[in-house]
Amino acid sequence: MTDIAAHLPPIRWWHSRGVRRFMRHHLALLGFAMIALLVLACVLGPYALPYDSLHIDMRARFAPPLSGHHYFGTDPLGRDLAVRLLMAGRVSLLVGFSAMLLSTLIGTLVGVTAGYRGGWIGAALMRTVDGFLSFPSIFLVLALAATLRPSPMMITVIIAVTSWMEVARIVEAEVRSLREREFVQAARMVGLSGRHIMLREILPNATGPIIVAASLTVARAILLEAYISFLGYGIQPPLPSWGNLLNGAQQYLASAPWLAIIPGAAITIAVTSFNFIGDGLRDALDVRDDHI
Amino acid sequence: MPGFLLNRFSQSIVLLVIVSIIGFTVLNFMPGGPLAQFGLDPGMTQKDIERLAEQLGLNRPLWIQYFDWAWRLVQGDWGHSFRDGTPVLAVIGRHLFATLLLMGTSTALAIAIGSWIGIRGATHRYSLFDYCATIGAMVALSVPTFWFGLVGIYIFTLKLGWVPAGNMYTIGDGSVPDYLHHLILPSLVLSLVHVAVWSRYMRTATLDALSQDFVKTARAKGLSERRILLKHVVGNALLPMITLAGVQLPSILTGALVTETIFTWPGMGRLFLDSLGYSDYPMVMGLLIFSAILVVLGNLVADILVALVDPRIRLS
Amino acid sequence: MTEAYFDSSYSRRNALRLMVAGAAGLAAPGLLGTPAFAQKAPAKPSGRIVVGLGQEPTVFNPLMVHIEVDDGVHFSVFDALFRIDPKGEIQPNLAVEVPNQKNGGISEDGLKWHLRLRDDVRWHDGKPFTAEDVKFTLELITNPDFRSWRTAGHALVRDITVISPTEISWRMEQVFAPYLSFLTETFIVPKHILEKEANPNNAAFNQAPVGTGAFKWGQRVAGDHLELVANSEYFGEGPHIEKLIFKYIPDLTVLYTQFKSGDVDLMGQPYITADHYEEAKALANRVVTLVPKASFESFYLNLERPQFRELAVREALYAAIDKESIIQGLYYGVPTPTETFMPRQAIYYNPNLPAHAYNLDRARQILDQAGWMPGRDGIRAKSGVRLSFASSTTSGDPLREQVQQFLQQTFSQLGVEMKISNLPAAVMWGEFWQQSQFDSVIVGSTYLIGADPDVTNRLHSRSIRTKGGRGSNNAQYSNLEVDALLDQGVRSFDPDARRTIYRRVQELVRRDLPFLPLYQINAVQGNKKGISGVAPNVNTRTESWNALAWSWAS
Repeated sequence: MTDIAAHLPPIRWWHSRGVRRFMRHHLALLGFAMIALLVLACVLGPYALPYDSLHIDMRARFAPPLSGHHYFGTDPLGRDLAVRLLMAGRVSLLVGFSAMLLSTLIGTLVGVTAGYRGGWIGAALMRTVDGFLSFPSIFLVLALAATLRPSPMMITVIIAVTSWMEVARIVEAEVRSLREREFVQAARMVGLSGRHIMLREILPNATGPIIVAASLTVARAILLEAYISFLGYGIQPPLPSWGNLLNGAQQYLASAPWLAIIPGAAITIAVTSFNFIGDGLRDALDVRDDHI
Repeated sequence: MPGFLLNRFSQSIVLLVIVSIIGFTVLNFMPGGPLAQFGLDPGMTQKDIERLAEQLGLNRPLWIQYFDWAWRLVQGDWGHSFRDGTPVLAVIGRHLFATLLLMGTSTALAIAIGSWIGIRGATHRYSLFDYCATIGAMVALSVPTFWFGLVGIYIFTLKLGWVPAGNMYTIGDGSVPDYLHHLILPSLVLSLVHVAVWSRYMRTATLDALSQDFVKTARAKGLSERRILLKHVVGNALLPMITLAGVQLPSILTGALVTETIFTWPGMGRLFLDSLGYSDYPMVMGLLIFSAILVVLGNLVADILVALVDPRIRLS
Repeated sequence: MTEAYFDSSYSRRNALRLMVAGAAGLAAPGLLGTPAFAQKAPAKPSGRIVVGLGQEPTVFNPLMVHIEVDDGVHFSVFDALFRIDPKGEIQPNLAVEVPNQKNGGISEDGLKWHLRLRDDVRWHDGKPFTAEDVKFTLELITNPDFRSWRTAGHALVRDITVISPTEISWRMEQVFAPYLSFLTETFIVPKHILEKEANPNNAAFNQAPVGTGAFKWGQRVAGDHLELVANSEYFGEGPHIEKLIFKYIPDLTVLYTQFKSGDVDLMGQPYITADHYEEAKALANRVVTLVPKASFESFYLNLERPQFRELAVREALYAAIDKESIIQGLYYGVPTPTETFMPRQAIYYNPNLPAHAYNLDRARQILDQAGWMPGRDGIRAKSGVRLSFASSTTSGDPLREQVQQFLQQTFSQLGVEMKISNLPAAVMWGEFWQQSQFDSVIVGSTYLIGADPDVTNRLHSRSIRTKGGRGSNNAQYSNLEVDALLDQGVRSFDPDARRTIYRRVQELVRRDLPFLPLYQINAVQGNKKGISGVAPNVNTRTESWNALAWSWAS
């Protein structure tokens, strides 16, 4: 859903330095702050609340928000939504981060190899990237999720496997342009091995774009997890995730709308924050985004 | 030009082959398979299930199944649905209109609203409107589409009762106003993300154009701002717009899949989910290939148009 | 409120009549095609009824593999040799009478079948229906190239002989009493159309069927709805409505909303969700009733798992299930608790099974006595086997997932660890289910075909796949007495003898607990008040089995 962000045409921020840039960083800072707050809340919050995320209380079903100590109300099994939301945050954020790490790793490997080697290996790799990109990733994600045993690990892998392509593209372009630069030529002349040149010389110079892409990938991964779990193919209960809290919420939309609204708001806040961060980083690291 | 075309064309073919291999592998990865759904049928025995596997050709080695399928596809035979024996292409054809209607409407909405926001943001740079639009775009890109749809249903259907909760038309009605009534909410939901993209794009394009010499000349000649905007800025931005539309196709398809699920829209997205649920392999493969072709074609047409207009690109 | 209908103080039949009357709001329509029901139908069918369905009907050749939701279309477009009425009695449809050993339709040894057919039936294209069509149908089912649905029973048929256009006979390879019930779900297809097809699997007929039924094929908007039109030439009762529309609305909440708003006249599968039951009952101008289905929900166990081998464990787990809370709380009081796989409405139902009682202390006691003692981690164990297992069900089913989480909590109080491990449907019911790779499964299943009580496929030890069997006894239940009873049951045509047999089977299964029976499923069915003739039938899988009797009150 957010992959469109990646297809944005060149937005030339140099037309709007100064105020513009300052505001971006402001937003990025806000994003960082929100994520830090979210992580803190998810890690510590459950200890502060008087309920257990798995404790079922059939007498307290469907309590609306702000009833007693149920600040966000309760779900159909009478479990406290606030504590479940925070526990779910742990899972969703963890899946998001791990998927980002994994997909960045895959993308970087493919990108560096394709960009440095070039030739038919490069062409084959990049056509595969195109192949993955040219059908809606959701088709692929769902097909995978519908066929594999849904565990958090598996969901992470599925998301990573379907979202490494943009990183690969960015890195490949970067490496291709770096390959001909003096310092790489020099390294080659000194007789350094290909692997050494790729890892030590080229990769550090491509870090900027990779970091930017990575922060956007976290946002995307959280959205994807939410969507798969919403359809029931993702993280399985009783382990809560932001997506599976929404699964079934459509059924109670009329009678208990908070079950749908609160987790969705949490997802939106987290994803927006990551997008803010990504955008800020893009500026700060002065990344040309021609090929993002 | 023919060389360029040939090159792009052969690249597209390679791409489709890769897509089909990925899709086929993923599908057949699954335990269970198309006959799993009959595991609960009281009257079907193990014998029946084995017989069906044989009839559907599911017990052949995977690579044979793939080549058989691919060879038929090359000859124009997309296969038959496992579920009801209908030709795959015919089924896709029946669901195409609904999806195109939804995608077309929301794309038109997105371009219209997005362009307006973008141009206004550029001409009123750093105004409150501009900041709100920029932040709004970021948020819009971050909202899960399905959740936005749910909230939309909650507010506009359940609370206000303005629009129907789903479906493309009322049975027995099906007039244009009826279609439009059903179309409003899903197309708005689907266009949200794209409004964000278009507004950001148009803002940059407008700023770009406004700084160009010819605009300065036009201004100097005393042309009105409005005319300058319409003639030079929008005109200039049109070409890249085509490319952007091409690049956006996959995400619009993805969005359509999500939106169709929430709004029970009888299009290809829901067909895909249904087919996935029934493990209807030929149907799922058909839809994968079909959407890939759509995307490839979209990009190809965009490329060709751009190449036709701008000879520099052809050379690179 | 289901109890009001099925209180044991009523006789079963009275109860049924009550229920039927309650649902229809009028006297129940009589039996199909019998003179008793030659009531004054309006001269011309009028009006239209929209049936809302949660899955899309797509298979219109009734002999091909299909799912429940396709049944409604088949019942409306086609006829079978017999139909089964709500009381579980088999009635003639295309046949003139139901064969049995008394009237000579079935020979004394149970092997020779002889049927007489109606002579006044025409296909929708005007061609007459004859015994040739029946022969063609029965042969098509067992055609190895044809993707047919069920072949059980049909595979035993030999020497089909057309004696005259209205007479047909065949021989059975072995005595198989359930076949009569099977034939109520075997719709007859036209020979003159299908015999021309090189490949019956892809025939044009399959997307534009021609039958003998009360409704003719109209048109279909794929992914949305399909329309049937009245067959005014129909030989039997009805139809009273001009158009029958099946509308596909995959989202259950939207489906219900459309029923509420009046866009949908009658709720079809999967009916109104339990959480909307209270609200639906209060709707103006709607009739909303609980209609029993033949399927029952159970906590299904894999008896070959060391944790479940011992009866004590199964008994303890059963005692630890708070059915009342699950039914009243999670399912809003919609289902009816049960102790068996047999629907209460069947004449074979055994009402004397011991009743389940939720008692955690008793469960603890049973486990203590059997030597399952809590280990250091709080989980009970016995001779190295920890009382820990996985529970699976189809992922994305919120209500079942709630049941799982509820049970998980109760079991943990007992020192039993239950892990939840759900799978997508396409994976769940494949090898995982069929090859007994699960620990335990929460499943709703139907054991009966039509109204026949034969459950060999589910409970006979010959039906265990992992042990070379060909059925779906996936619990791997094996009891020699049950085996013998089941073998005896299929060979008997005598209802009284069979009742004794299958009641005993239920007793044994209740004692052995290869699955922990939870409840019989009730559908929350609903239709507009103006529709009459709606008669629930627990013996069919669809609410639209008798659309020919539906009509709008003028």
